[in-house]
Amino acid sequence: MPEAENLVCIADRQGVKLVRLRAAALLTEDEVEALGQALMALAEMPGQRVVLSFLGVTHITSVVLNTLVLVQRRLEESGGDLRLADIDPHVFEMFAITRLDRKFRIFERDEDAVASFLAGPEG
Amino acid sequence: MPRKCSNTDKRGPWIRRVLPSELERIREAEGEVLGRLGELGYGEDDRFAVRLALEEALVNAMKHGNRMDASRRVRVAYRASAEQVEIHVADEGEGFDPAQVPDPTADENLSKPSGRGIMLMRCYMDEVTYVCEGREVHMVKYRRA
Repeated sequence: MPEAENLVCIADRQGVKLVRLRAAALLTEDEVEALGQALMALAEMPGQRVVLSFLGVTHITSVVLNTLVLVQRRLEESGGDLRLADIDPHVFEMFAITRLDRKFRIFERDEDAVASFLAGPEG
Repeated sequence: MPRKCSNTDKRGPWIRRVLPSELERIREAEGEVLGRLGELGYGEDDRFAVRLALEEALVNAMKHGNRMDASRRVRVAYRASAEQVEIHVADEGEGFDPAQVPDPTADENLSKPSGRGIMLMRCYMDEVTYVCEGREVHMVKYRRA
């Protein structure tokens, strides 16, 4: 399995964890598992606010969507939240088809997503 | 699986591949099919759709059908023309009833981590049909004008 640090880059933006992906496609089981583990590790922190940027990602599968659902559930249980950004139009369509665009707050740019957290709970 | 293999069929000849239930083998099947669609001039939207549906079908066949049993095979058959591409994916599992898969877009299922693969296949392909008690899926994508 690829090491999580080879797949994701995590930065801290005033307490908000900004997760960027290093891969253009998240297709293999190993890649998705590594992403899930990295996000789940963040979810262990109570109240953790996480932004996942899909910048440069052009292909995902339903396994990624299901993983994000699990991560969001875990984050919500601990008082945190996951917000998404920089989603390619093709990939966004997958969120829309599955109605996950209603479950997740999705922003055009990652800085907008980070700012929404910093603006407060209703941001 | 299709039984006829005619090179004179305007839909093109059937091309068949047999894969072990190893997820890393999915790339080669996808690459071959997408390469053919590229040769035929299919656009990005069509290739995205076919790639996604084929990926979902192969993962389902290996994981849920064959349960990652390396001794069980996945059979892929495809034929592509300038107008359409047909893909059949068959596993050696116990089958399933796709009608029993819950609608992942229902409010009560939005937080469940399952059921989205089949739905995406149906949305991105023009025809999706399960045969052989769910052990085989047939998909058709018509090229966009």
